[in-house]
Amino acid sequence: MARSSSIGRKLRWLSILSSGTAVLAVSVTLLFVQIQRARKDMVLRLGSVTELIALNSAVAVDFNDADAATALLSSLTTRPGVLTAAIVVNGRVFAIYRRADVSFPKGEDLQITNGSRFTDHDVTVFRPIVSGGRSLGTLFIRADLREIEETWRWFAAITAFVAIPALLIAIVISQLLQRAIARPILNLASLAKAVSIEKDYSVRAPTVHTAAEIEQLVGTFNHMLSEIERQHAEIQEAHGTLEQRVADRTSELKQANQAKDRFLASMSHELRTPLNGIIGFAEFLSDGKPGPINDKQKEYLGDVLNSGRHLLHLINDMLDLVKIQAGRVDLTLERFSIRDAISEVCTGVHPLAVSKAIEFTVNIDAGIELVTLDEQRFKQILYNLLSNALKFTDDRGHVGIEVTPLDGGRFRLVVSDDGIGIRPEDIGRLFTEFEQLETGTARRFGGTGLGLALTRELVELHGGEMDVESEIGQGSRFGVVLPLAITGGNKMGGQA
Amino acid sequence: MLRLHARLGWLVAAGLCIAQARGESALSEYQVKAAFVYKFATYIRWPPRTGLDASSPFVICVIGRDPFGRELDAVMHGQNIHGRRIVVKRLARPEEAARCDVLFIGSSERAALPQILDAVHNEPVLTVGDMDHFAELGGMINLTTEDNHIRFDINKGAIDRAGLKAASQLLGLARIVDEEKVR
Repeated sequence: MARSSSIGRKLRWLSILSSGTAVLAVSVTLLFVQIQRARKDMVLRLGSVTELIALNSAVAVDFNDADAATALLSSLTTRPGVLTAAIVVNGRVFAIYRRADVSFPKGEDLQITNGSRFTDHDVTVFRPIVSGGRSLGTLFIRADLREIEETWRWFAAITAFVAIPALLIAIVISQLLQRAIARPILNLASLAKAVSIEKDYSVRAPTVHTAAEIEQLVGTFNHMLSEIERQHAEIQEAHGTLEQRVADRTSELKQANQAKDRFLASMSHELRTPLNGIIGFAEFLSDGKPGPINDKQKEYLGDVLNSGRHLLHLINDMLDLVKIQAGRVDLTLERFSIRDAISEVCTGVHPLAVSKAIEFTVNIDAGIELVTLDEQRFKQILYNLLSNALKFTDDRGHVGIEVTPLDGGRFRLVVSDDGIGIRPEDIGRLFTEFEQLETGTARRFGGTGLGLALTRELVELHGGEMDVESEIGQGSRFGVVLPLAITGGNKMGGQA
Repeated sequence: MLRLHARLGWLVAAGLCIAQARGESALSEYQVKAAFVYKFATYIRWPPRTGLDASSPFVICVIGRDPFGRELDAVMHGQNIHGRRIVVKRLARPEEAARCDVLFIGSSERAALPQILDAVHNEPVLTVGDMDHFAELGGMINLTTEDNHIRFDINKGAIDRAGLKAASQLLGLARIVDEEKVR
């Protein structure tokens, strides 16, 4: 509140100071002039009295009649302002008059012969006593400054009855004028504050007609408010539209995604049934159960079987992926030996490694033995990584498995190879389903394009992370970080 | 400080008074009286006289035994009255007095006073004396001694009859006497 009234207070002080200064200046000037005039008048009046007495006392002085001179000076009793008077002849007091309460004249009074002297308390006028051209002595009369004091009293009266009332009236008038200026500004300030707090842009400051500038200020302020209100409304509207649009799109996408999932799930299921028939009958034929077949026929039947199994594998992967993404997969947690699990997977891919004469090394940290994970899924992760590594490694290459412990109850599984490697720009796309690097490469090495995407989903399902580093022609390293044990709480970790 | 200053003023003034008192007592009675005679002349106006003008000397006469000695001549030396040079004369006979402007009548002439006054009767001659009842006996100004101070009586009627004009301030200082009182 003190802050908000500061403009009013400043204006009030301004008016008090300016009018006060004016009144003071006029009063002081008047006082000065009046005192000067009073002094001049005093000297004039006292001077004429002194001259008259000097004239009349000349004979008494001439005839050395001190009594007559004293009698003459005694006539000054009728003049109340006179303090003392004396006739000085040849530097000595010839006759003197003084009021009972006044001390004897000062030493310097005996030397001066003409003119006037002011002190703080009195004024003294000196006149020579002359007769027939002969200078007989000096008369001086000293009077108090009651006329000057009169002037001071007059000044006090003027100040009390004219200057101070005038000042008060000036202050009251300026107060009224100041209110006309300050009030609209204060109103504007409080309105601005209210607007900034309540965000209500619909209010308007009342128009004032006290001063053009303030009217303009209020107008501009109101215009600004309208502008803000308009823009605010536009932004609100745009915001609403955008939210609606996002919600629409999101739900559309959700529906589309669900439709896709449903389609894929049912398709996979529908595809597997005839495929199992194809594979089953192909095996039946190949085993020669219905009758003997020649080598050519057996070779073709083998091709049919391979293709069928590959297709089944593909369909299974896809089904898994869809299930995971749809959040319909639960982990079956069990405690198992990681060493045994790795050994089993290695056995599974061993024929391929042997056929390509690939050197195979396994290095498991001695501190890691039992883990609590979904064993089948863990094996699936390792299998996918291993088959990838073997697939993209040339004959007589090298593939390694490494397991090391990490802080925070986790461990790291790394599958490395010295195969063809991956281009840096392709690494980002590695884990995207159905993305295959270089069509040519895919054709040469086979693969579904689902392996890595599925692997990553499985890792994240375990609350782990996956990373890859690779260099063209030097090989790749796929790293998986997994917890040593999954507790019930983060069973579904990493899956949105 | 102020009080000390005032007291110093007292002392200075007192010292001056003592010095002046000594100086006055050093003046002889007739030195003062000679000065008075001169000063009387300065406060009195004479009517114009036939055959005389501003260049004529102002004549101060002494009749009878001269009590001034050299003092009168000393006081008047080089002075003038109303612009006229002063001449001091000693008279032997009253008949010469009519040509004087001021006539001092010594106390030795008390017996001859009526003849002397007759000689200047109706003439503009200021008569000054220093004998008892001089003014009451028809003289104009009589010098008296009172408490060691020289004072004077004035017979205003005599001055008026002689056509002289005395300044009112001079009359204010004097004791005004009337000649009828004695007669």
